Amino acid sequence: MRKVLNILNYVITYTFLVVLSVMVLYPIAFAIGGAFSPGKSLANLSVLPFPANPTLDHFDDLFNRTNYILWYRNTFTIAVANTVVVLIVTLISAYIFSRFRFKLKKPMLMSFLILQMFPSVVGVIAIYVILNRLALSDTYLGLILVYSAGALPYNIWLIKGYFDTFPRSVDEAARVDGAGNLTVFVRIVIPNTLPIIAFLGITSFMAPWMDFILPRFILRSDSKKTLAVGLFEMITGRSNDNFTMFAAGALLVAVPFVILFIINQKYLVKVMAAGALKE
Amino acid sequence: MRRNASVYAPAASALFMGLGQIVVLRQYLKGALLAVLEIVFLLNAETLFKAVRGLITLGDPRPDLPVRLRDNSTFMMLDGLIAVVVMIFFIIFYTVNIADARKQGRLYERTGEIQTTRQFLKSLGEKAFAYVGLSPAVAMISFFVVIPLVYAALLAFTNFSAPSHLPPNNTVDWVGLETFREMASLGGQFSKAFLRTSIWTFQWALLCTLTTYFGGLFIALALNEKKIRIARVFRTVFILPYAVPGAVMLFVWANILNGQFGPLTKILRALGAVEWLKNMGVLQSDAIPWLSDPTMARIMLILVNLWLGFPYFMMMMTGIMTSMPEDIFEAATIDGADKFQKFRYITLPLLLYQTLPLMILSFSYNMNNFGGVYFLTQGNPSDNLTTGTFAGSTDTLMTWMYKLAYDTRIYNKASVIAICMFVVIAPFAIYNFARTKSFREGEL
Repeated sequence: MRKVLNILNYVITYTFLVVLSVMVLYPIAFAIGGAFSPGKSLANLSVLPFPANPTLDHFDDLFNRTNYILWYRNTFTIAVANTVVVLIVTLISAYIFSRFRFKLKKPMLMSFLILQMFPSVVGVIAIYVILNRLALSDTYLGLILVYSAGALPYNIWLIKGYFDTFPRSVDEAARVDGAGNLTVFVRIVIPNTLPIIAFLGITSFMAPWMDFILPRFILRSDSKKTLAVGLFEMITGRSNDNFTMFAAGALLVAVPFVILFIINQKYLVKVMAAGALKE
Repeated sequence: MRRNASVYAPAASALFMGLGQIVVLRQYLKGALLAVLEIVFLLNAETLFKAVRGLITLGDPRPDLPVRLRDNSTFMMLDGLIAVVVMIFFIIFYTVNIADARKQGRLYERTGEIQTTRQFLKSLGEKAFAYVGLSPAVAMISFFVVIPLVYAALLAFTNFSAPSHLPPNNTVDWVGLETFREMASLGGQFSKAFLRTSIWTFQWALLCTLTTYFGGLFIALALNEKKIRIARVFRTVFILPYAVPGAVMLFVWANILNGQFGPLTKILRALGAVEWLKNMGVLQSDAIPWLSDPTMARIMLILVNLWLGFPYFMMMMTGIMTSMPEDIFEAATIDGADKFQKFRYITLPLLLYQTLPLMILSFSYNMNNFGGVYFLTQGNPSDNLTTGTFAGSTDTLMTWMYKLAYDTRIYNKASVIAICMFVVIAPFAIYNFARTKSFREGEL
């Protein structure tokens, strides 16, 4: 009797997990299938995501008929520049907060902690006016400054926490040997905290790819459009007309993301858990 | 001079920055630097005060002038705000200058010693690295985080909106609480829309948090069962919604839930369910209103959000469960606890305790979640309230604010919503602050 119950238990659990897997995988499979299916619109796609006669036409259209490559390049440029700015400013600030004592340290750290809760988007109207005033509207520089500034409070806390765990005695030893502030920072602290720096780099690189509101407000000209805005405009309005082409475009963004995620999975989960649970 | 240096020095420095340092304490370099600071301030004082006056008046309407020469109220407001910040900094420096004169004066009185130029330069050099190194971060955060928050709050007290109060063509005026009154007055269109949107935003955040949290918990527990052989495979599959960029999957979902041509409708149609529902009188047409019926759309939004959001909690819970110390469970086994008791009295309480902060932060995240609503429904379906207020029946405060600002340029009302969002976020910010290690251990 007990054995029967046990078996039943397995059957139920496995069935549940399999059904759930199908529900998780179906939308993804449907999009991938759509990318290779002939025809343009949602209406003539089959329910099962396996096209009988797969085609690469949509990728061709995407490259030749839309500005997809331009959007991709724009977003890539923004992501790279954002990473560079975030890395430089965050690392220097975190090092100073971790190693120096000065009067305004506590109030500054406290205000960062509170500021990191407010998303930049809440101030988007003001940001738009400020960038106009500084003649930075419709420029990548403006957008990058807004992104990196918005991420600074959180990032500084994250990296400062990590620098704090790196023993001070090591940099003091170097100081005795005559190293200055900058030498200690570049030659000793950075090489010894590379994993967290890599993490910061990857997250800053990934952040701009799917952001929508800020690029839409700041980058008004067509030639500066980013991927998220471009893809959104591709499917809204005449939504079911362009689904297959959209799916092809989405696939080209999603694949590198999933690869990056899987490579970093272990580390990512660890840092997320540490950041969220302990701080 | 030495006798009353602790009185004369700060008094002189209060009169003019650096005066006490130069005359009483003979610290020529420091005094000169401070004096230069005040001179620079005085030379720019007119500009600063003009900017502050601009902040108060917001410019005069001059329809006779060409657009380029008219007063731009929003720029004047920004300049005024920056001028106020500069003045606050100047006042802080001024106070520091007096405090320094007092401190050095006391020292001089007591010991007869004065900080030499070399000592001053050395202490300056130590601090300088810190302050110079932090200046880019501080400048960026003040310009693109702090000033926008203050500015957005100020806009709520103006009439900055389309069609007749948009610079550079027209000026903007302070209207006090007028916009708030319109948003809150009973019976008005905007207040009705505001109430509906606020309630739905709250429901949305609460339901999203609860569903993803308990969904993630449930699956993590199911996969934690030691007898499930291929748990790793399932886990990898279930992480996928988190690994794929959320916006992309929301766009895909919007198509899957297409009432006429979406695959879900097609499946139900093939099974005859659509026909049956039509005969029952539930459906009027061949299409299923997944996203075009208000209630249905809200349910779908929450379900799609569950699809996107449960992996995060699943990962967190799995991580916590694998790091739970084995010895508690061994001790419980020795005491005769069975499997269910171990779960009920050890695993669950530990899990809930450790993930409560995540749940609370997730609530605040969902309040501000834009894509989760906008990419799926754009706030639609619209109804009679939408015509005047632009708030669709699935709009949250976030998406409504976006629409008011981007689509219709009613910036003042958008700013009132932004203020409401500050007010909602603030307790979470304080909570987040209070639970940090540094705060609890008294480091801060």
